Amino acid sequence: MSNKIVAWIDERFPLTAIIKHEMTEYPVPRNLSYWWNFGFLAMTVLVIQLVSGIFLAMHFKADAGMAFDSVEHIMRNVNYGWLIRYMHSTGASAFFIVIFIHMARTLYYGSYRAPRELMWWTGQVLLIMLMATAFMGYLLPWGQMSYWGAQVITNLFGATPFIGPEVVVWLRGDYSVGDPTISRFFSLHYLMPFLVVGMIVIHLVALHMVKSSNPSGINLAAKDNIPFHPYFTIKDIFSIGVFLIIFSALMFFTPNSFIEADNYIPANPLKTPAHIVPEWYFLPFYAILRAVPDLLGGVVAMVLSLLVFAAMPYLDRSSIPGGARYRPFYRALFYVFAVDVFILAYVGAKPPEGFLVPLGQLATFIYFGLFILLPFLSSKEEKWLIKRGLPPKVQELVDAEVAQRAQHKADRAAKRAARRKK
Amino acid sequence: MKNNFFMPVSFLVIISGLFIGGNVLASSSAVPLAKVDIELNQEAYKRGAKVAIETCNLCHELKYIRYRNLLDIGFTQQEVDGFRGNKSMEEVLAASMTPPLAKKAFGMIPPDLSLMAKARKKGDRYIYTLMTSYHEVADNQYDNKLFPGIRMPDIFALSVETDEKRRAMQDQQIKDVTSFLVWASDPHADTRRTIGTYVIAYLVLLTFLLWLWKRKVWSRLDD
Repeated sequence: MSNKIVAWIDERFPLTAIIKHEMTEYPVPRNLSYWWNFGFLAMTVLVIQLVSGIFLAMHFKADAGMAFDSVEHIMRNVNYGWLIRYMHSTGASAFFIVIFIHMARTLYYGSYRAPRELMWWTGQVLLIMLMATAFMGYLLPWGQMSYWGAQVITNLFGATPFIGPEVVVWLRGDYSVGDPTISRFFSLHYLMPFLVVGMIVIHLVALHMVKSSNPSGINLAAKDNIPFHPYFTIKDIFSIGVFLIIFSALMFFTPNSFIEADNYIPANPLKTPAHIVPEWYFLPFYAILRAVPDLLGGVVAMVLSLLVFAAMPYLDRSSIPGGARYRPFYRALFYVFAVDVFILAYVGAKPPEGFLVPLGQLATFIYFGLFILLPFLSSKEEKWLIKRGLPPKVQELVDAEVAQRAQHKADRAAKRAARRKK
Repeated sequence: MKNNFFMPVSFLVIISGLFIGGNVLASSSAVPLAKVDIELNQEAYKRGAKVAIETCNLCHELKYIRYRNLLDIGFTQQEVDGFRGNKSMEEVLAASMTPPLAKKAFGMIPPDLSLMAKARKKGDRYIYTLMTSYHEVADNQYDNKLFPGIRMPDIFALSVETDEKRRAMQDQQIKDVTSFLVWASDPHADTRRTIGTYVIAYLVLLTFLLWLWKRKVWSRLDD
């Protein structure tokens, strides 16, 4: 019977073909470590956020006069409203933890390199969309930090040349953050996740085209690939279990560690909090913003600090596979970068006083310095590693890539010469 | 394989660093908060509620707590009736003093207390420290070390009380009020922790089974 139904569908929709192509016959390197589970985990968190968010929206009032009270109403009077709300607020932080690990893995293993540039770039777009969604969602509880955070961030758009003040008013719908702002942020906060889903589809289509990278960095032979289902379905489901244990521990026992105390004070446009801090996941970027004394310069630096990742496939000039694994210089850069981000987060969380100002500037300098250093260091490193002798298997791959690069260069030169002749 | 060991370590450093950066290091206060342990049980909530309703609630509102909510911490209907007089069970615990009167007396409307324990960093310790930080600056003039220039009078009179027995009693009352305010700021917190324990126990078992299943599926590969 079920076979008949499947056959009926297959004549009208490629159900079996899709399952085969994307699941039961989709090849995945068998040597993936658990660091490769975080993409799937990010989707899990997205589902948590979508479901909890839809239920929150049923009780939330996007109105400057009612928003704060409606959140308290959810927390106190709605059945299990506290669970839905804490799930959503903890989920926001969990989303960024998972995404940052996902990105760190990509950087560490050099998974951004050809042919996975589009995956890396769609990932960048997803990160920025996620940040926008989180930022707009943070306004909705209409607490002091919500209000002043939104005030500060929308103010940044005032740095736009010529039309700055107009852009700020256009974004807020008013001269300062107010009722029109919360209505539009709510609308967009509800819209964005669906755009994110669309972007994830593109991200995944690209993945199924180029297939997963793996810790060795070497393209595996067919025999070293195993089907996604059942091997990675069960591995991913197991990792959801581990994730949910950690998530539940945070959500049930310390949900307020993700919420600034000031945000339990209703927004008051007349009273600026002593110290406005963004959510933890914005701290490193916030520190970069403040490191530059000029507003426009700061905004440009902050935007660049996000966009600069997109250049990684080109900044990294080495063809040694496996990312940081086989590359001591690159590995050192990775760890310096990690520590630097940590320092930036620390600086971003504190008021800009005393030694923290030069420290933030130094950390910002190192942040960008590492990206600038990478092309020189990576090509030097490649030469040094080749001179020292690579494992034969790796050497083969490097030779192939070097040859390909030379061929590409020659092709371009030939084309140019041909054009000149014309 | 050395790198595989260091990588998780470095991630943990980044992630924990972000948390520490975001939460712990961001808080600093001139007066250190007293390291008290606030009881979290119905008896303490009830004792605290009595004090809070008879004293704090005269000037401060508890705008997210309704009389009906008092049943949740174990008060009987008669006891709640005693608190509410002829007000409805659905009414919130508004301050006895009307806002215009409060404004006249204090120059401002005393803040709502129902979220106070969450609206300050380490709210329970903050409330306890605030109430015990009054000191006499001149005859009948008080100030507060944690909140200089505070307009609230020294309700529990700890700044002038010298009798040790009465001091201990008042200290206990302040602790009880703090317990009650912690409950009021998050009335479902105890339920949350209970449910959380069961959920995690269930998830640990489920995840263990999933791990066995994963091993079983992957064992097909090992030949």
